[in-house]
Amino acid sequence: MTRFVERHPTWALIIIIAIAVALWLISAVWPPGLEEAIGRKRVFLNALFNGITLGGLYFLVASGFTLIFGLMRNVNLAHGSLYLFGGYVGYAISASTGSWILSFIVAFILTALVGVLLQVLVFRRMEGQDLRQTMVTIGLSIVFADLMLWACGGDFYQIQTPSWLIGPIELPLITAVKSSGDPVYLRYPLVRLVIFLASAIIGIAMWLALNRTRIGMIIRAGVDDRDILAATGVRIQIVFVLVFALGAGLAGIAGVVGGTFQSLSPGEDIRFLLASLVVVIVGGMGSIPGAALGALIIGLAEQLGSVYIPTYAIVVTFLIMVLVLALRPQGLLARR
Amino acid sequence: MDSVAQRLSAVGAGAALELRGVTRLFGALAALTDVTITVRPGERRAVLGSNGAGKTTLFNCITGDFPPSSGTIRFFGEDVTHFPPYERIRRGLRRTYQISALFPGLTVQDNVYLACRGVSRGRFSFLRPGQNDALMHAADGLVQAVHLTGVKDQRVAELAHGQQRQLEIALALAGAPRFVLFDEPAAGLSPTERVELVEILTSLPPHIGYIIIEHDMDVALRVVESVTMMHNGRIFKEGLPQEIQSAPEVQELYLGGGHE
Amino acid sequence: MSVTHDARIQVHKPASTAQRPAVRGWPDINNPAAWIVAVILLIMPLIANGFFLIEIFATTLILGTIALSLMFLAGYGGMVSLMQLTIAGFAAYMVAVFGVSGNANISLGWPWWLAVPMALTLATIFGTLGGALAVRTEGIYTIMITLAIGAAFYYFTNQNWAIFNGHTGINNVATPHFWGVDWRADIPFYYVVLATAALCYFAVEYISRAPFGLALQGVRDNPRRMAALGFNVNAHRVAAYAVASFIAGLAGVLQVWNYRQISPGSVSVGACIDVLIIAVVGGITRPVGPYIGALVFVLLRTFALDFLVKIGLDGNRFRLLIGLGFLAIVFWSSDGVIGLWQRWRQSQVREENRPGGGRGHG
Repeated sequence: MTRFVERHPTWALIIIIAIAVALWLISAVWPPGLEEAIGRKRVFLNALFNGITLGGLYFLVASGFTLIFGLMRNVNLAHGSLYLFGGYVGYAISASTGSWILSFIVAFILTALVGVLLQVLVFRRMEGQDLRQTMVTIGLSIVFADLMLWACGGDFYQIQTPSWLIGPIELPLITAVKSSGDPVYLRYPLVRLVIFLASAIIGIAMWLALNRTRIGMIIRAGVDDRDILAATGVRIQIVFVLVFALGAGLAGIAGVVGGTFQSLSPGEDIRFLLASLVVVIVGGMGSIPGAALGALIIGLAEQLGSVYIPTYAIVVTFLIMVLVLALRPQGLLARR
Repeated sequence: MDSVAQRLSAVGAGAALELRGVTRLFGALAALTDVTITVRPGERRAVLGSNGAGKTTLFNCITGDFPPSSGTIRFFGEDVTHFPPYERIRRGLRRTYQISALFPGLTVQDNVYLACRGVSRGRFSFLRPGQNDALMHAADGLVQAVHLTGVKDQRVAELAHGQQRQLEIALALAGAPRFVLFDEPAAGLSPTERVELVEILTSLPPHIGYIIIEHDMDVALRVVESVTMMHNGRIFKEGLPQEIQSAPEVQELYLGGGHE
Repeated sequence: MSVTHDARIQVHKPASTAQRPAVRGWPDINNPAAWIVAVILLIMPLIANGFFLIEIFATTLILGTIALSLMFLAGYGGMVSLMQLTIAGFAAYMVAVFGVSGNANISLGWPWWLAVPMALTLATIFGTLGGALAVRTEGIYTIMITLAIGAAFYYFTNQNWAIFNGHTGINNVATPHFWGVDWRADIPFYYVVLATAALCYFAVEYISRAPFGLALQGVRDNPRRMAALGFNVNAHRVAAYAVASFIAGLAGVLQVWNYRQISPGSVSVGACIDVLIIAVVGGITRPVGPYIGALVFVLLRTFALDFLVKIGLDGNRFRLLIGLGFLAIVFWSSDGVIGLWQRWRQSQVREENRPGGGRGHG
């Protein structure tokens, strides 16, 4: 951190000012002039929270994608299919058993199994040929998409939010002050906050696992230099399978989350694949903190963009990607 | 001996290659530390040292493949420290690679033609070369010079190792080279091929200077007039070939390093 | 580095068994099969009716030309770009926006001979800028960045109403009429498409042996060495994107004339990936590959429904068929259909030679 400030004082200053402005916008009661200029504070706060929680969802999808890429140099373009598959599985379980929690567990296990099968049956056969592997994932994504369309049809599905998470809660953030002088507090859906918290916990757990455990060290060594990993005599195939299972399982979990937040339908696979691509390009390939930062930036850009500049929201996301590629092509938090 | 060292490190406007305090870091590891070398135009010098002494990194810094972390590099008086590799090449610098860096999908002729095209105009030309294309003739000449005329229409991937090493040299001699860096040109060559290599090196026009990295002392000391010894990324000793050969500490270090 | 290396292996393994034309002339000039194909293509209007002429052959040639632009980048330059269809679509949109269409509030109403050069210029700029972004990273990242660009364009056309008219797109795009000919009538249009496709095909074939194309193949094989020979590697890559964008743009103009409309559906992510499938299925090492791939693709797309129903399957499973076919090609032949055919022919030749006992290669 201090090294960053020393090396890039201007950027550090800009970031600090941006954070300060954001904190002020969140905590202060907006003066009338500001509300006139950019609209109600409630709208802003809602967009902000939507952006952050959407970022949590993007992180769940993208972290698996970036982990698989980092270790195996496999751009898994079937990652979106895993997301959608997890979502459909979650829907089936929650619709039949009524248990939301169980749907996560089953979705994780089943998508992780698909991941294991992919690694063992397909990718192991073409190790080191990353372009060919990527082509295979394209073929698989087409096949999966059509199989899922066959099985589930083109309808929209939404996973039922469990009763104990339904409804908004009041947050200690003042959106406005009534004429009587009473403050109005922000009300926000509890389920989104819980899910965001869960994805943050998953992210921190992954980071700890990668940095504090032996298997994590092995994976990180593999991300940095695959040859070294092979040379140390580690059973690299097992590491590959485990990472693929974890990455796929995370996509499955994200599918259930997405199915609860939003809805499931054909085409969502491509949407989330694209989101993962942009998130990891912005954050830095193979980096978990990078995926977190990228997911936050893209989630916020999408939501704030769709509120304040609705026709150009997608352009904002895209411009962020272009900007990062132009200034720091390896991504914001990549080591190289 | 002093006079030799002074002569070798003399700073003159006429230096072909002049490195001042060149340091290259890889993370925390210093592959080169404070390297200062001056080479006169037309001078032929060997760089010796054990594996990991920083010889290839030195070449990479000079050509810009990996620019130095600090220090300056001048090529015929011009500061090229921050130039991209291709700008240095266009000014007459050339190099070969320790592990052949060729274009396996193209023919021998096309490989050499590309080398000739790279240092002349028309790199982006959309017109095919005609029958009397000057560069095509230049390429033919180079192919002949390294004894590859018989295989000039074969794809490089199909060549034998020795032929690939010869092609490697041909690529470095295209255009009008003023200074060449040879990175272990004899690696993997048979005794006969080594003789041919020595012949190619000694028959270069006298104005072309070079630095050669070579483990084979027989080859190295026969084709140079001065020697730089490197160890752990630093210059260890400079002198004439016979001095280096007879200096006991050099022999110990070099042979010791070689036996490890 | 390792990535480009991999792309090279992927692209070139079969070519090492194949024979490369060593002659610096037109490689197909002595090939009777090529002449037969050329003659058939020229007299096609005598053989095929309007449906086949346009829906099958003209569409094949247009799609093949888009895939050709990908083949140029991937086969010669080692850069797998998934945005070639996006560039074609951009050109198509620009023809509709600058030219005449049913959406008078959007279209500027320029005559076609002004709108088309404008569209081509803008498409080339668009593709070159995208390429300049993509070359900032190496190898496999190219796929991701170009796919992201393609997808961003798709979502943008969906959201933007001022220029792209949202998800309805632009309809009733006018097609050229001059010299008393309606150039969108089946037979004239077929020849326009054939001429454009032939032009692009021969241009790519020609450039591949010109200094620019050779240097591009050098960049594919070993970018670092190319820099050490005096080439500005990134400038070469960006220039390759410019050439490919122009080719894709030409195909895009034909596409909008073919359907007389353009909408986000034509530039969807799936359609972008279809172009890759076409190029890979046909074979990515030579310019003829994309056209073969496009023919296979168009035939499948047109007749898969009837075929699937006939063998007792659900006719809607066309995408499944395409996906499985693509997987099979990627698994078994890294040079697509041409690769398979060549391997088969070589095994035939080997059979013939066996009694003689002579082995060609020592």
